[in-house]
Amino acid sequence: MNDSTRYNRQIILPEIGEAGQYKLSKAKVLIIGAGGLGAAVLPYLAAAGVGEIGIVDDDVIEVSNLQRQVIYKTSAVGNYKVDEAKAMVSELNPLVKVNAIAEKLSGKNAIFLFEQYDIVVDATDNLSIKYLINDACLVTNKPMVYGSIFRFQGQVSVFNYQSGPTYRCLYPDENSQSLNCTDAGVIGISVGIIGMLQANEIIKMILEIGEVLSGKILVYNVLNNEQQKYDFEKNTIAKLDKKTFEEKYKVTENQIEEIDAEVILNEIDNDEVLFLDVRNEEELPKLNFKNGIQIPLIKLENEIEKLNPNNTIYIYCQSGIRSNIAAELLQKKNFKNVKSIVGGALALSQIVKEKIAD
Amino acid sequence: MIEVKYFGAVAEKTKCEFEKIPFSEVSLQQLLQDLEIKYQFDSLSFSVAVNQKIVPKTIDYKLQTSDVVALLPPFAGG
Repeated sequence: MNDSTRYNRQIILPEIGEAGQYKLSKAKVLIIGAGGLGAAVLPYLAAAGVGEIGIVDDDVIEVSNLQRQVIYKTSAVGNYKVDEAKAMVSELNPLVKVNAIAEKLSGKNAIFLFEQYDIVVDATDNLSIKYLINDACLVTNKPMVYGSIFRFQGQVSVFNYQSGPTYRCLYPDENSQSLNCTDAGVIGISVGIIGMLQANEIIKMILEIGEVLSGKILVYNVLNNEQQKYDFEKNTIAKLDKKTFEEKYKVTENQIEEIDAEVILNEIDNDEVLFLDVRNEEELPKLNFKNGIQIPLIKLENEIEKLNPNNTIYIYCQSGIRSNIAAELLQKKNFKNVKSIVGGALALSQIVKEKIAD
Repeated sequence: MIEVKYFGAVAEKTKCEFEKIPFSEVSLQQLLQDLEIKYQFDSLSFSVAVNQKIVPKTIDYKLQTSDVVALLPPFAGG
């Protein structure tokens, strides 16, 4: 079986032809996120013969992913998503080169990764990373194919296409919040449809056919099949140099996330959260958390194996200073979700007392 | 009448996907303030479109009868 037999049904389209197939085979696409959207985009790009596809995701497959991330098998639960995605593509179309990148996208690796591809696909599930992708696309001059979901609605757009409008032109407020699928709920079909629309934009860009969703956001509602397009313009100074980018993201990455003691109260019974006391054993007041552990700061580095890097860890000390140092240490050791409790044990014990008095 | 469309988390606050508002000579700013008071969007962030075009929120625009305004929050799921 030669390549043109495999791709015959698309090659016979006048808009594609052998020349279009050649463009596909030379294209390099980087997909950020191997979740619901990534799982929809990937097989269609691979089947169509996109030459090289990178997939970035440091998650492993969970059983609750399978309802919408349809490229994964039940037997693969616990495996890295990018490894399974690569294996899927190699069976589907061995002509495609797949780079499985089991890393979290950050300010440190984004520029290097993006430089090696033509098109970057945002298949992520949180807002702050979309700004990072947007900014890294600006620095490297790559188009960003955006897709995202809220329950039964989805949005699609292409940013920075031929220096067109960017994500920041549409949503300038970097501090806004929106629920992801884990928190809001989603059906597989919604992510499938939106991922398919993203794949469509990618293929059109590579083939240089049709109209790309640049300067337009498409909003789709699967419950009533209504879709609308909204136009938007370039309205920020969309030039960003590498130095500014690095300053911005290196700074934010080293920041310790702090959390107020009041907020903690709701999480005391949450089995997913570990409360880490980094005070010495003799320090008072003692706080007894159901999911608590004490490792004095001085011993933390040596006893780090007592902690699971994938857990959410809330760290406290007496006043909130040592806990910041501990949080920084754990972040350096690749702990993903550590927060330092503002005001430490003193603030916590005060709030617990008040709660009892209520 | 002016039509206002709501999407995503904004529509969850308003408990409807669109509504018609009797036309009175108001500015877009005034309409947005009225909606804020009515629905308490608080920390919800959204972009605003008039007649299928995103406009700066600070724009000085007098609404015309039959204008369609849309409130579009960012989505995050994937």
